[in-house]
Amino acid sequence: MNAKSQRASRWQILLLRHETILLLVVALEWIYFDVVGQRFGTVDNTFEIVRHSVEIGLLALVMTPIILTGGIDLSVGSLLGLCAILFGKLWRDGGLSPLNAGFCTLVIGGCAGGLNAGLITRLKLPPLIVTLGTYSLFRGLAEAITHGVDTFTNFPDSFLFFGQERWLGVPAQLPIFLVIAIAIWLMVHRTVLGRSFRAIGFAPEGARYAAIPVNRRIGFLYVLAGVISALSAIIYTARLGQAKADAGSGYELFAITAVVLGGTNIFGGVGSVHGTLLGVAAIAILDNGLVHARQPREVAGMLTGALLIVALSSSALPQLVAFLRARRKETQPLRESP
Amino acid sequence: MKRYFREISVAAALTVLLLVLAIFAPAFYQGQPLLSLSARESPTLVVACGMALVIMTRQIDISVGSQFAVCSVCAGLLATRWPLALVLPVSVALGALLGAINGALVAGMKLPSIVVTLATMVTWREGLRWLRQGQFVNLPDNVQWFGLSQQTGQWTLIGAALLLLILAATGMRHLAIGRFIYAVGSDAEAARLAGIRPRLITFGTFVLMGALTGLAAMMNIVQSPQVDPNSGTGLELKTIAAAVVGGVAISGGRGNLWGVFTGLLLLACINPALTHLHIEAYWEKAIQGAIILLAIVADGWRNRKEAS
Repeated sequence: MNAKSQRASRWQILLLRHETILLLVVALEWIYFDVVGQRFGTVDNTFEIVRHSVEIGLLALVMTPIILTGGIDLSVGSLLGLCAILFGKLWRDGGLSPLNAGFCTLVIGGCAGGLNAGLITRLKLPPLIVTLGTYSLFRGLAEAITHGVDTFTNFPDSFLFFGQERWLGVPAQLPIFLVIAIAIWLMVHRTVLGRSFRAIGFAPEGARYAAIPVNRRIGFLYVLAGVISALSAIIYTARLGQAKADAGSGYELFAITAVVLGGTNIFGGVGSVHGTLLGVAAIAILDNGLVHARQPREVAGMLTGALLIVALSSSALPQLVAFLRARRKETQPLRESP
Repeated sequence: MKRYFREISVAAALTVLLLVLAIFAPAFYQGQPLLSLSARESPTLVVACGMALVIMTRQIDISVGSQFAVCSVCAGLLATRWPLALVLPVSVALGALLGAINGALVAGMKLPSIVVTLATMVTWREGLRWLRQGQFVNLPDNVQWFGLSQQTGQWTLIGAALLLLILAATGMRHLAIGRFIYAVGSDAEAARLAGIRPRLITFGTFVLMGALTGLAAMMNIVQSPQVDPNSGTGLELKTIAAAVVGGVAISGGRGNLWGVFTGLLLLACINPALTHLHIEAYWEKAIQGAIILLAIVADGWRNRKEAS
C-alpha cells in the first residue's frame, strides 16, 4: 500500500470516529433548535443548559474510567441522594458551616465509595451486583434518615451562590466542573494510570501479569466515584436550594447513557472522556431544545433511547469498514500475483 | 449439598425471619393478609423466573418494568371492550414482541444487553408517558378477579404463578433447552462448538422474558380497579435482586429457580415484617440493600475459600 492511500484511510478513520460523528450530531441538534426554538441559542439559555447538566456531567465523567476498566457503578445516583441529606443534616442539625459540612460530606462520599471498592476488590464480586446492593442501601438510608418527608431548605445565600449565581459571568458551578473535567481527562488520556485502566478493561489477568496493581486501581476509581457523587450532591443542593431523599434518582442511568453514547465500550478497554462530554451535551441540548421547540418532555427521553441504539450500532461501523478493507486486501495479491 | 450452598443459606435466612415473626409477631400469620401479600407478589414471581433465565444466559434485561407498564396499559385499554380470554393472549403476544426487539438487538446485532435494554427501557417508558399523559385506565368491574369472589381470585393467581414456577424449574432440570441455557451462559463459544445455537437461545430467552412479563401484567391488572401508566417502576431491580439473592450468578451459567423463589419470598416478607415488628417502614429499601449485599458477600467468601 502506498503512502497516499494510507493517509486517505487515516482521514477516513478520523471521520468515521465515534466522537466526530457525535460532534456532528451535537452541532446539528444545536442548529436545528436554534432555527426551530424560540430564544434557544442565547447566552442565557446556554448557561441554563450548563447549569442543569453539571451534576449528571460530573457523574458521567467519573463513570467513564470505571466503565473503561470493565466495571459499572449503579449507586452514584443513590449516593447523591444520601450525601445531599447528610449535608443538610450536618448543616441544620449538626450546626456546621456549609464549608465544613461540605468537607464532611466529601469524606462520607469517599467512605461510601470505599464500601463498593472493598466489596468489589477484596471479595472479587461483580460490580453490577455490588452497586445494585448499595444502590438500594444508600437510597434506603436516605429515606430512613428523613422518613421520606423531611426536606432541608433555607440554606444561606453564600452557599446558594454555587448553584444559582454567576461568577466572572459564567454559572458558578462551571469552573468547578471544568477543573474536574480537565483533571479526569488528563488522568485518563495522559497518564500511566489512565493507560492501566484500559489495560484492566481489555484483560484484567494480563494487566496483573504486567505488574499493574489491579485491585488498587479499581478501588481508587470507586472511591473517586463516591467523592464526586458527594460533590454533585452539594452542587445539586445549592442549585435547587433544598435537599430531599429522592435527590438524583435515575441519574446513574443518565450518566451511563452519556458515557455509552460517547463511545465508551460497556465491556471496557475502549473509550474517551471527551466522548462522554459530547454525550452529556447531546442529551442536555436535546432535553432543553425540545422544551424550547414546544415539544413534550417525553419526546426527549424517547429520542435519547433511540440515539443510544443508533450510537451502539454505528460504533460497529469502523469495525465493519476495517473488515471489508481487510477482505479486499486479502484478495488483491491474488489478482496481482504473476 | 455444597452445590446448593446459596439456595440453602437463603432458605435458612427465610426460615429465621419467619420464626422471628412467629415468636414476636404472630399476627403476621393471619390468613387473609398473608393471602393478599402472596397474590400481590405472584406477578413479580412470574417476571423473576424470566429474569433468572435471562441472567443465566449471561445477559440482563432492565427494560422489564417498562415492558410491564406497556402491556398493563394496552391490556387495560382492551379489557374495557374485549372479554378477558381474548385480552390475555394479546398481552402475552405484545410482551413477546417487545422481548423480541431486545432479543434481536442483543443476539442479532451482538450489542451489549445492559445498554440495549437501558435504551428500550427509556424509550418504552417515555413513549407511554407521552401517549397517556399520566392518565389512569379505569377498568370495568368484570375484570376484577376474573369475576370471581376475591379469595378465589387470589388463589387462582397464586396457583398460576406456582404452576409456572414448577413447570419452569422442571423444564430447566429435565429438558434439553434448560441444559442449553446453562451451557450458553457458562461459555457461549463452547456451546456453539457443541452444536448449540447460542444466538437463537439468547433470542428465545428474551422473547420468553417478554411473554412472561405480558402474563404478569395481566395478573397485575386484575387486582386493581385502575391501571397506573407508571406501574412496574423498579420491577427490574426487584427481580434482579430476587435472582441474585436466590443464587443466580450474574456471570451466567449457574442458578436455580427454587432459589429465586426463596429469594423473592425473603425480599417480599421484609415490608410486612417491619410493620408487624413495629419498625418504621422507611427502612425497607435499606434492609433490602443490606440483604443483597449480605447474600453476595456470603457467596464471595465461599468462592474465596474454594479458590484457596
